Amino acid sequence: MNDDRFEQQIHDAVREYHRPPETPRDEMWAAIEAERRRRRNAPRVVVLRPFWRWGIGMAAVLVLGIAIGRRLQFGTGGPPASSVSAPSRPGDGLAYQLAAAQHLTRAEIVLTNFRADARAGARPDSQFLNQARDLLGSTRLLLDSPAGRDPRLKPLLEDLEVILAQIAVLSASRDTADVEIINQGIDQRSVLTRLQTAFPAGSAPARAQGAI
Amino acid sequence: MYDAHVDRVYRLAFRLAGDDDLARDFTQETFIRAFERIGTFRGESRLSTWLHAIATTVSLNGLRKVKRFRTRETALEAADGVAGGVRSAEPDLKTRLRHAIDALPDKYRTVVVMHDMEGYTHEEIAAALDMEVGTSKAQLSRARAKLRESLADFAGEWVS
Repeated sequence: MNDDRFEQQIHDAVREYHRPPETPRDEMWAAIEAERRRRRNAPRVVVLRPFWRWGIGMAAVLVLGIAIGRRLQFGTGGPPASSVSAPSRPGDGLAYQLAAAQHLTRAEIVLTNFRADARAGARPDSQFLNQARDLLGSTRLLLDSPAGRDPRLKPLLEDLEVILAQIAVLSASRDTADVEIINQGIDQRSVLTRLQTAFPAGSAPARAQGAI
Repeated sequence: MYDAHVDRVYRLAFRLAGDDDLARDFTQETFIRAFERIGTFRGESRLSTWLHAIATTVSLNGLRKVKRFRTRETALEAADGVAGGVRSAEPDLKTRLRHAIDALPDKYRTVVVMHDMEGYTHEEIAAALDMEVGTSKAQLSRARAKLRESLADFAGEWVS
């Protein structure tokens, strides 16, 4: 038997692979109708992806913080919130500090993953990019809040915003040169180190996070 | 839509799964999703292409889940020496070929099933699997090479 005959034998045998029986049309249609009825009647449950849960939690803490801050300022007869500088009493800024601590922890995780993926040559998936975009939005919110007027936090948040903006515009088929530039930016500004040391363990926000 | 396409969808699901129950599940899920999402079909491709893209996604994802459940079982069988693949125990070309196709990576096996068994064109395969036409052709070529390699002892025997 020559090669052509062998190829023909393979070709014929391939057609026998998992040869389907006759299609059970009616049975399947009945099952489809039953399943569609069941799904229509089932209560809808909204399941949030983890990064959405984080985002909504962050936004809620920020809104709460802003509300508390404004209430305290109006209550003491001070000027409107928009013209007030950093909170003067330790308790006033706790909500912002807590939000900032959570935000920076999350940013540290994202940047660490980004560097690890870059080293492994892996491409960021859409979920990762969404996470970065979500963080970018939260960073802007924090910069516009009293936490953004904290002289210690402001430069870190600004650097973080630049890095996240660069990551957020990366496409799934990212250019390695772009990734290298982002990594250089992280190194040159010591962003990861500053994120890790922004809220040392034992500080008020860190304790509050633990309590939560 | 169901009447026009159910045969082809079921055949594809059965070829991929090799099991009637799974093929029925995959076919049913394909149509349920299609009915739920028909409003999002923008008419940029043929309805059959859109439907087969859903069918391949449902079938391949379903098979991955099944494989995860079966992995432990298979490992135990292999440890017992049941899954030997000994030449003398499986002299039949069709049996050997079935095992060789089963052993192909999913992406190669899917292209072989769709093209060589069910007669899909490379354009249809590319659209269903969201790949380039050239990629479909290359994967089919590599899959056939792997099958020839797996069955080389048969060819050698016949040639001699």
